[in-house]
Amino acid sequence: MAGFIFKRLLQAIFVILAVTLIVSFAIRLSGDPAVMLAGGSNITEKDLQNIRQALGLERPFIVQYLTFLKGLLVGDFGRSFMGGTSVSLLISKALPATLLLAFTSLLISILLSVPLGVYAAVNRGRWPDQLIRIVSLVGLSFPNFWLAIMMVLFFSITLGLLPPSGMEGPESFIMPALTMAIILTATNVRLVRTSMLETLSQQYIMVARSKGLRDRVVLYKHALRNSAIPLVTYIGLQFGGLVGGIVIVERVFNWPGMGTLAFDAISGRDYPVLQGTITVLALFIVLINLMVDIAYGLIDPRIRTE
Amino acid sequence: MKMSTTLKALSFAAAAALAPLAAPQAQAAGTVTVAVAIDPGSWDPIDTFLVDWSSVGNNIFDGLTARGPDMKLKPGLATSWEFLDNNSRIRFKLRENVKFHNGEPFNADAVKFTFDRLLGDEGKKGPQQSNYNSIDHVEVVDPNTVDFVMKQADPVLLTKLAGYGAMIVPPKYLQEKGDEYFNTHPVGTGPYKFVSYEPKVSINLEAFPEHWAGTPKLDKVVFRMIAEANTQIAELQAGRIDIATQIPFGLAPTVEKDPKLSLISITGPTVVALRLNTKNGITKDVNVRKALIMGIDREAIIKAVLLGHGKPIASFQADLSFGYDPNLKPLPFDLAKAKQMLQQAGVQPGAPVKIDFRGNEATFREVAQAAAGFLQALGLKPSLQPYEPPVLLNDIIPNGKTGEAWHNAWGGWTFDYDNTAYLMYHSGEKWNPYDKDPKLDALLEKQRSIYDVKEREKLLQEVARYVADQALEIPLYNQNTIFGVNKRLKNFEPPSDRRFRFTDVTVE
Repeated sequence: MAGFIFKRLLQAIFVILAVTLIVSFAIRLSGDPAVMLAGGSNITEKDLQNIRQALGLERPFIVQYLTFLKGLLVGDFGRSFMGGTSVSLLISKALPATLLLAFTSLLISILLSVPLGVYAAVNRGRWPDQLIRIVSLVGLSFPNFWLAIMMVLFFSITLGLLPPSGMEGPESFIMPALTMAIILTATNVRLVRTSMLETLSQQYIMVARSKGLRDRVVLYKHALRNSAIPLVTYIGLQFGGLVGGIVIVERVFNWPGMGTLAFDAISGRDYPVLQGTITVLALFIVLINLMVDIAYGLIDPRIRTE
Repeated sequence: MKMSTTLKALSFAAAAALAPLAAPQAQAAGTVTVAVAIDPGSWDPIDTFLVDWSSVGNNIFDGLTARGPDMKLKPGLATSWEFLDNNSRIRFKLRENVKFHNGEPFNADAVKFTFDRLLGDEGKKGPQQSNYNSIDHVEVVDPNTVDFVMKQADPVLLTKLAGYGAMIVPPKYLQEKGDEYFNTHPVGTGPYKFVSYEPKVSINLEAFPEHWAGTPKLDKVVFRMIAEANTQIAELQAGRIDIATQIPFGLAPTVEKDPKLSLISITGPTVVALRLNTKNGITKDVNVRKALIMGIDREAIIKAVLLGHGKPIASFQADLSFGYDPNLKPLPFDLAKAKQMLQQAGVQPGAPVKIDFRGNEATFREVAQAAAGFLQALGLKPSLQPYEPPVLLNDIIPNGKTGEAWHNAWGGWTFDYDNTAYLMYHSGEKWNPYDKDPKLDALLEKQRSIYDVKEREKLLQEVARYVADQALEIPLYNQNTIFGVNKRLKNFEPPSDRRFRFTDVTVE
């Protein structure tokens, strides 16, 4: 296990290096933060030079990148170009907000998709199965920003029940988490169903049934556990997609998370903030993949011994 | 089957989860909540140049002069001023018995400290310094008098002292707490003092009872950072914010229809034009340029795309701007005459007109499409080229790589044509890649040395007339500043430049 984790850590370092290098390089091709800071105001080239110098942008790219890496080693992501706020401080506030939202969404999605998927598989071909499949197809085809806006219109403006944006009490989680969860659930239901169907056709299920075990035990103990492997892999991978998709949802709900931070950093050409958020997100996705691998071992003892 | 009970239970749980939620809390009495788009990250007046900073900062800080929604310059922290030594020295008498929020006294030293900081190394790092480069230094005459010693004449200075980088900061507080602390814990002399700030979420202010102009009427002002226009409007409709500052034209009717809200649409600082390439293509010819202006129905564009929230312009400035000439009228829309002028100039049918524009501006994209439609009706072959704004502003325009026309949008908070005209039309300026006109240069330079209001106004009007005569651009429109406001707000005077000052506002 130790060797395996070590190998994965090396991989992680490589991924982080590659991602930061690409991000740092690409955003520098796209415009001048000094001009963005001045907001197109009356400013001369000499003043722009001064601002660039103060931001450290006059140095060659490789020097800027190495400075960033050096800071990374001690957990210092530098300072935002906008107002000089410490990037670590911004991330330390935004990351929990995003993770909380992502996990809530994922949790809701699992709670919905596992029973629904199992139910559909058991009733294969009959009307509950058809209904669940059609509804999930509809759910899959919604763009999440549209769903978000519709929910705001209905729950906040028509009914006046939920706050339309911001992260305040638990009620502010409902709409953003549901938006993400509905789209995740749509895919997950289909995955659970397919995986369940495959398992249910196995001989050991037949054996279990013929032993006279109750339906519930056969389904949840024997079948679900065996069909969980593809599900766990997929949910792990989904997390990466979730963090990507969250940018839009965070923006619509004005969620103070990593997506908002990255979005603002891109539009303001705030290099340090963008580099910081992307690095942390990349690190996180690498970590999740590692956890998925470890989770395999817990679910299926055969993988542990290999 | 067992599962059906599970399903029932689940749907019941979902319904139960939603039911007990209290309605989102209504606004507290005496508190006004405003949504701004961007968090400047620092509340130090000299660090950024963002309108959203000023929406907040104008309540925390005071300048030596002040300018409210009526656009008239008034005394601020200075009660009077006079020009000495052939205008090379401006003497300000300071208001007495003024205190900063931390109790520190306001005096001549604070003014000197503020400008030493702005014009020195600290100011060099930010975008504000260049606005105040005409000042050489500030001298303390006595505790309540300062002299501004000028490097060069600057007739717009008094206006510029009313906002942004010229806001007066507390010397002792800054020396003790340091610059970084000040960024996130600002202290000024303004009507509201800072309470708390959560980056990217909100900044809270409360009334400063000892403000020199009297205690402000509200207890608290909260600014929330909400970048997405749809979200601002949803919050406004839900009654959780009182003022929305991001209202795209297309969403204005939503606010208008809501009985609890009012839509405020007033003359704004932003003007939009299609600047023309005077060096290459068919636009080299002044008569062709005039024909293009006459061939585009600007009134129709304002009505259809801006839904009426704008006005036609004859020069690149709003009618609130100093230098505006009510007698200068835009060229009329006349398709037949425009066609005839193109023919006389020998322009072949199907001659290309490429319009470069900032691709992120949804409204202008529609404007450009409409303009292209009119150009097509003239028998020309228009094409649209969207760019990422920084690419267009930093490369395509300054390096003279534009098509026949490009998108120019401008809006200075000073409302003085000088700033705009100089940057747009003086030789060698980044916004003026193609022209070198000694006559125009001379006019622009001359008005910069004149403090006489009437004479300078005449010169600026002459500049506008000359530019219109040369048809350097197709002036399209002056777009309105739009706010969505909850009707519970009373005595709210909307500022064109979005520099709010909530001294007289009350809420029901």
